[in-house]
Amino acid sequence: MKSKSLKRFLIIAGALIIGLLLVFILSIAGSESKGPIQSTLDGIANKVLDLENQYIFQKRSKKRKQKLKVFSSFKNDINALKHPKIILLGASDQIEKESFEAIINLEDSLRTTFPLIHIYNAWGSKPTEQFPTLAVETIIKLGSTPVITWEPWLDDFNEEDYPGIPKPAKRKKGCLKAIADGTYDKYIFEWAKDLAKIKLPIFIRWAHEMNDPYRYPWGPQNNKYEDFTNAWKHIRDVFRYAGANNAIWIWAPHPAYGHLDDYYPGEKLVDYIGIGVLNFGIATTWSKWWTFDQLFGKSYEKVDSFSKPVMITEFGSLNVGGDRSQWFSDAMQSIAFEYPAIKAVMFFHQNADKTITDKEVSWYFIEDKKSKEAIIRQLKSWPDSLKLENLKHNIKK
Amino acid sequence: MKRSLQSSMWFFSQAKDITNLDRFILLFLSIAGIFSIFDLAEWWFRAEHILNFPLFVLLSTFFWYGFLRTVLIWINYLRIKKPQNVPKPEKGLSVAVFITSAPGEPISMFEKSLYALQRVEYPHNTYLLDSTEDPEFEKLAKKYGATYLNLVNLSGAKAGKVNKALELTNEEFILILDPDHIAFPNFFSQTLGFFKDPKVGFVQVSQGYYNQYRSFIAAGAAEQTYTFYGPTQMGMYGYGSSVAIGANCTFRRKALESIGGHAVALAEDLVTSMRIHAAGWKSVYNPVIVNRGLVPEDFHSFAKQQLKWSRGVFEILFVELPKLIKKFTFWQKLSYSAIAFYYLTGTMTLFFILIPLLYFFTGTLPANMDFSEFLVKGSSFALIALIIYLYVQKFLCHTKSERRFHWRGMILKFALWPVYFLGFVLSLLNHKIPYIPTAKKAVIGSVSPFIRPLIWYNILFVLSVIIVFIDRRYFVPESELLFSSTRTWGMLGFAFIIFLQSWGGIYAAWEAVNLKEENPWDSVDIDKISGIEEKK
Repeated sequence: MKSKSLKRFLIIAGALIIGLLLVFILSIAGSESKGPIQSTLDGIANKVLDLENQYIFQKRSKKRKQKLKVFSSFKNDINALKHPKIILLGASDQIEKESFEAIINLEDSLRTTFPLIHIYNAWGSKPTEQFPTLAVETIIKLGSTPVITWEPWLDDFNEEDYPGIPKPAKRKKGCLKAIADGTYDKYIFEWAKDLAKIKLPIFIRWAHEMNDPYRYPWGPQNNKYEDFTNAWKHIRDVFRYAGANNAIWIWAPHPAYGHLDDYYPGEKLVDYIGIGVLNFGIATTWSKWWTFDQLFGKSYEKVDSFSKPVMITEFGSLNVGGDRSQWFSDAMQSIAFEYPAIKAVMFFHQNADKTITDKEVSWYFIEDKKSKEAIIRQLKSWPDSLKLENLKHNIKK
Repeated sequence: MKRSLQSSMWFFSQAKDITNLDRFILLFLSIAGIFSIFDLAEWWFRAEHILNFPLFVLLSTFFWYGFLRTVLIWINYLRIKKPQNVPKPEKGLSVAVFITSAPGEPISMFEKSLYALQRVEYPHNTYLLDSTEDPEFEKLAKKYGATYLNLVNLSGAKAGKVNKALELTNEEFILILDPDHIAFPNFFSQTLGFFKDPKVGFVQVSQGYYNQYRSFIAAGAAEQTYTFYGPTQMGMYGYGSSVAIGANCTFRRKALESIGGHAVALAEDLVTSMRIHAAGWKSVYNPVIVNRGLVPEDFHSFAKQQLKWSRGVFEILFVELPKLIKKFTFWQKLSYSAIAFYYLTGTMTLFFILIPLLYFFTGTLPANMDFSEFLVKGSSFALIALIIYLYVQKFLCHTKSERRFHWRGMILKFALWPVYFLGFVLSLLNHKIPYIPTAKKAVIGSVSPFIRPLIWYNILFVLSVIIVFIDRRYFVPESELLFSSTRTWGMLGFAFIIFLQSWGGIYAAWEAVNLKEENPWDSVDIDKISGIEEKK
């Protein structure tokens, strides 16, 4: 009797082991790098995309790209993009995930075409948190250069892919040190490889406003200064290792919170300095109606001391507590004539922003005729040497 | 079909016996399959995959119902069983054969079946249960030594006649044979012996066919039954739940009487066997080919047969199963429920083919899944399922003609979704359909109305292709084109597979329209049928 049950037990155990082994073998064949099925499917998908590009997209008569013809060689030239003589305009608007129509409507209403389009991308394990290949390719197809704000939120990393990482709530403390120590290298490396595949220059604004102790987990409340600079250096190393040399790095401190020298990763590791200039008016308890000069002017000297081109990465004003069209008018004037280091301005055109306030605020001004007219007027009055139309005269042969 | 295959069909054949090694292989393959499902499930049910919640729930229900069925069939295979030895029947048992004739059935067919019954070795009385009132049938019965029973105007169609005949006769064992089935000489030596066990209520044998060569439909319809009459029923026998389906079931009179006679229903055999099990009887499934009959040859006959079955089986789900379920063993509950839900396949197919159309015409999607990721995630499961599918083909009853990939059967199962769906709808509305014997001769020269939904689908598909092209060429903004590219073309690819399958069905229907008029039984030489296995 006993030997019979032992035999049965052995049979079941044997079957279990072989079964699990089989699953293990199949799953290795499937997920490590790319299995044969995935590669075949990817091949088919690429072929279909090529065909669509050839027979549908290229046959279209009106293409945005043509309006940006003057920018077309510029956007392939990373050195030219790092040292522009003109002011590059751009915008962000994420009202729809899979469309840039809102940005196109905005630029049409401003009678211009933006050479830059700005998108946001959070860190994590979800598909939407990987390198946004489709969005980037679309921006390039539209004739512009992508700007990606890349935010190191760590909550969404799953523990299966990153064994040993703390529970999401405990990841905030020391998050930048964890990044610098290589905990999330797998993610960074994949992201960088996908970016490298694009080949054309792409702006990256990583961990912006790292000196603000209130807003983001990567601020000083959770991290030391050197954690930030170490993490920055580490990411640059991983990018180099992945062969991603087409990134243009925007270092983006908050002008009001100081410690710029403490956070500066170094002359060789930074291409642009990014500053957000948003006027909240009287929408919050801590804000007043501040002009562009009040928000940015005080820190200009310090920012300029790094001798890097400056990008106004988030540029906008709410409509409460003052005259918004006047705000834009003054700001555009100052940008062109007061602060020569500014080489790029990106409209912050979001209609449901709640990063700072508890209620959603809208930065939309597409319905605000006066503001739009003010912007159009100012753009016209800018010196020719700063305008996109005159770009060709500025490229060094 | 090859001539040699044709002739080898008229030899007795049987399924292979299962060995311990077979059991072990099936066990670890099933374990591997179940683990690969966990992996897939973990991926499937991610919150980020949900786009349209009600549709996602529906999609998941159908999908996981399909997986559940697959796992159940694997579990079923784990107990594949063949009677260890076929006991020799005792001498002197009283045995009856009931064969029914209804108006419109060709008399030449009966000549063959009745003649073949004369050659069946064990002594038996043959009864012709006639409702044609045609004197030719009476003459025919006389010619082949059968007793003629004139049973007109009885309610309950075939089962009604069987029950009346039970009153008029007194044999202890009754074989109910469909008139298109040609019995082999050794039929009873493969069945009667099992009744030595007084608890055995009925003995079912496999159901072979001989007109597969006639058309795509006939070949496909036969293919749909091979696995069922081989490994599936053998597994059900192992779990004590084998069923009587189709013809050729030999019953113990007492068993039939204990349930008040043969059940009157669309799926009469199935209901009868369920009731007999519920009354506590055992059954035997012997995977041998000791008779061959006809499958429908044209689309319309096949569709009508399948409508009858699906309607009948749904009736079991809604009426019979709830009544009997408490009396079943656990495994009987499981297998009968699985059978009762089988014809939901049409409703599922309809849902799946609506997904791409819904996307093209309204932009709605149930799930936010990368199609290629799904294929990759599902590939281990699919591979294991394929291996198991091919492995159990060892246990088919006539491997020589049956062992191959049953793609024709699959195409027909897909193409008949309108029929199965109609069966479901009629059941929900509790709408009865009349019992009509399945056509024995092909209905030639007309197109079945059941083919129309396939044609409509194809028109919609072509329309979708045009709409998608025009939309993307002229209307989708260039800033959105790329985002929806893989999704749209992936959906179109999915719809294209359905399109091809629909064409498979339409081709099958068209091919049968041009069938040459011929009685398949004319070419059967009864004298050459052998109760001994063919030499290799």
